[in-house]
Formats: sequence, C-alpha cells, structure tokens
Amino acid sequence: MSKPFLSVTDIVAGYGNGPAILDGARLEVEPGKVHCIIGPNGAGKSTLLKVIAGVLPIRKGEVIFKGERLNGLRPDQVLRRGIAFVPQERALFPKMTVRENLRMGGYILRDEKELQRRIDEILERFPILRERAEQHAGTMSGGQQQTLSMARTMILKPDVVMLDEPSLGLAPKVVREMFDIMRMMTERGVTILLVEQNAIMGLKNADVGVVLDLGRTLFEKPAAEVLTDPRIQELYLGGRKAA
Amino acid sequence: MEIIQIIVLGLGLGGVFALMGAGLSLVFGVMRIVNLAHPSLIIAGAFVAYWGFRMWGIDPLVMLPIAAVILAAIGVVLYKLFFEREAKSAKYSEMTVLLTFAVAMIVEGALGAMFSNTQRVTSPSYATDAFFIGDVFIPKGQLYAGIVSLAIIGGLALFLKYSRLGYAIRATTQNREAAALLGVNVNLVGIQSFAIGIALAGAAGALVSFVFSFFPAKHWEWIAVLMSLVVLGGMGSILGTVVAALGLSVIAAFVGAWIGSTWSTMTFFLALFLVLLFRPQGLFGEKPELV
Repeated sequence: MSKPFLSVTDIVAGYGNGPAILDGARLEVEPGKVHCIIGPNGAGKSTLLKVIAGVLPIRKGEVIFKGERLNGLRPDQVLRRGIAFVPQERALFPKMTVRENLRMGGYILRDEKELQRRIDEILERFPILRERAEQHAGTMSGGQQQTLSMARTMILKPDVVMLDEPSLGLAPKVVREMFDIMRMMTERGVTILLVEQNAIMGLKNADVGVVLDLGRTLFEKPAAEVLTDPRIQELYLGGRKAA
Repeated sequence: MEIIQIIVLGLGLGGVFALMGAGLSLVFGVMRIVNLAHPSLIIAGAFVAYWGFRMWGIDPLVMLPIAAVILAAIGVVLYKLFFEREAKSAKYSEMTVLLTFAVAMIVEGALGAMFSNTQRVTSPSYATDAFFIGDVFIPKGQLYAGIVSLAIIGGLALFLKYSRLGYAIRATTQNREAAALLGVNVNLVGIQSFAIGIALAGAAGALVSFVFSFFPAKHWEWIAVLMSLVVLGGMGSILGTVVAALGLSVIAAFVGAWIGSTWSTMTFFLALFLVLLFRPQGLFGEKPELV
C-alpha cells in the first residue's frame, strides 16, 4: 500500500492550557485535489489548519506528510517540507512593499537569482501586483491584499497550500478572483486545503468535502455528494439548495 | 550666528542620542521588550572604551567595535538568562519592564563594584578640541560622535533594508506569526535582534565615553530621555527615534541657551508628556488599537 500524501489522524489540540478544540479530527488528503473543510462555527476548522502548519502544538494524534511525521515541527520547518499556510488575517507585512512581501514569500530560498526570477514570474502573472510592486501592502484594498497573500505562497512552489477563509470580507467579484487563483494553483499540481465560510461556494470549487463538528471529522467524501447530502444541507448549508 | 551655533551643538548631541535610542527601539520593535536596562548597558560600553583608552591608550573610536561585540555577547547571555523562558507569556512586554529594571540594577551594581561610582570621562585629544567656522565653533568630540552615530544608523538602515536577516527582522517586527509561517525562525531572529540592539548600546557607550562624563548610576538620568525619544519617534521605529533625537536635542539646546541649562533636560520630559497625551503612537508609530 502506498504512503498517504498527507494524513491527519485522531488529532487532539487546543489553545494554551484551554480545552481541546480538536478532539479526534482526521483527514486523508489526496495530491493535486482541493479539499474543502466545512462545519459550524467552533468546529475547529481553522484550528486544524494551524495544527498542520505547526502554529499550534498537537496534544495527541499525528500528522504525516509524504511519510514524515510533522508533530512538534515549527511553522518554518513545516513550510520547508512543502506546506504553505495563508491564515485568515492574510499575514502580510503592511510596511513592506508588494515586492518585499513577495521576497519574504521566498525567504527560505537561498538562490537570489532564482528568487528574483520567481518574483518576476508572479508579477507577470498578476498585473495588479506588478502595477503596485513598490506600494506598501498595508495601503492596498482587501482583495488586493488577499491576491498578494495567495500569490506569495506560489513563490515557493509548495506541494500543499492551506487557505483559511480566503473570501472573508471580500466583495463577490473579488471572491471569484480568489477562486480563480486557487484554480490556477491546482492546475500547477498544488494540493489545496480550504476552510471556507461560504460553504456552498467552497464545495463547488472543491473535489473533496470534509465535514467537521465539535472538533471531530464526521465524514470525508466527494464534494458533490456533500453538497447534495440532505443532512449537510440542513445543518451547515442553511437548507439552501446548491444550484 | 548664535542660532547656528545652538543648532550645531544640538545636532551633535542629537546624533549620539539617536544611536543611544536606536538599539532600544530595535529591541522593542522586534521583541516587544521595553528595555529599561539599555542605558546601563550603554554605560557598560562606555567603561569598555574607557579602560581600553586608560590601560592601552586605544582611541575610543577604535574601541567602538570591540565594545559593540562585547556588549552583543553580554546581550545574548542576558537574553538567554532572563527573557527566553518568558517569551511565550501573554504578558511578556509588561514583564520585561520589571525584568529589565532588575537587569539595570544588576548591571549598575556590577559596574559599581568593579569600577566604583566615580565620574569618568575618556579624554582623547579631540574631546576638548574644536573646529571654528567663522564665529561658530564645533566641538570635535561631539562632531565625530555625531557623524559616527549617524553612519552606524545609516549602516543599520541599509542592513535592515537589504540583507536577508534585515528582511527577517523587519518582517518579524511587523507580523511575527506571518514571518514564522514564511520560514523565519522568529526565536533566532529575536536573539539576533537583541544582540544587535545591545551591540548598538555598546557602540553608543564608546561615543558617550568622551562626550559625557559617566558613572554606573548615570543610566537613571538617561532612561527617561531615551524613552522620550523612542515614544516620540513611535515605539519600534528607528527612523522615528533618529528624527526625535535630532529634533529634541536641538530644541533642548535652544532651551538651554535661552532659558537656562537646568531646563534643557525638561524638554525631553515635556515632549514625552505631550506625545503620550496627544499622539501616543508617536511620529512614525501605528495608532494603538482601543481594546
């Protein structure tokens, strides 16, 4: 049997000495696919991404990526293994220019020429970033900041990109652009782990749906099936039919 | 002519104050450590330069890099002993006020025990000499100290702007969690920044040693002055600290010349008071969130 690409097994985790937010979460991530994690508020969706990214320590369970155990690794060590994380608050450096933010995206690259080449490539692909290359990130609109934070992860060409609520606070048109960027990533073979407040939109753009409740994984199945599952419709999608 | 003279003297001292405050600002910006021990470490640096000159006749400007390296090493030891274990505390910044207060007392006590509380000053020939341009005199000691200070700060700015570590330091200052997510070992960057900040204290000490007389307990006079510079500039902004140091030193020089020298130090305290009252984020700092 081949090794799983990324597997999360029976994770127990929480903040500080507080109660466990995740209590038995699990996940089997297939390479090159978009996995959308849904669930009610407080289900532990963002916490799960933070655990995988090494931001929060694991109390029990394990995270295995390409056969290697990630438990106990710092965020920089997880990144070096190919898993990038874009948190909810976008994690930009407001007083750095767009170009400098992109440069920070390739911080772990030691080859200056290669880094420069990749920055130029990103600026070429995202005209809005090229136009504002010398502008401070903190002065850009929410949508432009989200574009920058997502584009920045592409500098390292990671295997997995974890996006925590990328559409939060953005106008519908900008949200569509975010999903376009996500699609661009998957076309390049990047695996996406997505936590999305707009569950219908998230699932429509995903291959696999993961339902989390009270820190536990209820089930994982093809996103189309999750979308049409009457229980999920009732519980998490507000009874709305997916058009 | 008097006005030009006052401005020249103010700028000379301002340059030294800028370097004295730059390390304090850097350490706060990156690590959120309110380092009340910074002036006591400047005095430690001054003692290094003083003894280098006294025992071997080495110019304090030559002793400057030596003082910086010695103080950087002391900084790493202090960080490991006092700050590292508390770094994850939610009340870290508040705790560092008490911790650094204790460190200041320890440093002062150690310096007092080793060198006594006698007033000292390093006296290379230029310390008591001056250039004259018409009627304006420029004390060579202040001029050299001011130029060297601004050169060091300029070097620091270039280092922060263009070097890999500089990027990491700036990123950690602006968003610690994001820096970690992008591969920066923020703990290591913290230690390196602390060491650089304390090295700046050592460098400033070497300059202070021939610009001011000093003794171990002198740091209590300086902490309020330096805090006023850092707060006026905006906590964590090195550029702000430099602008505040030059500006306030010139104003203090005017106050000293026109009102009386005893009032000149008051300029810094008054600035601190007014800034906290009307613009708590300082000139270049971010507006604090109302939580």
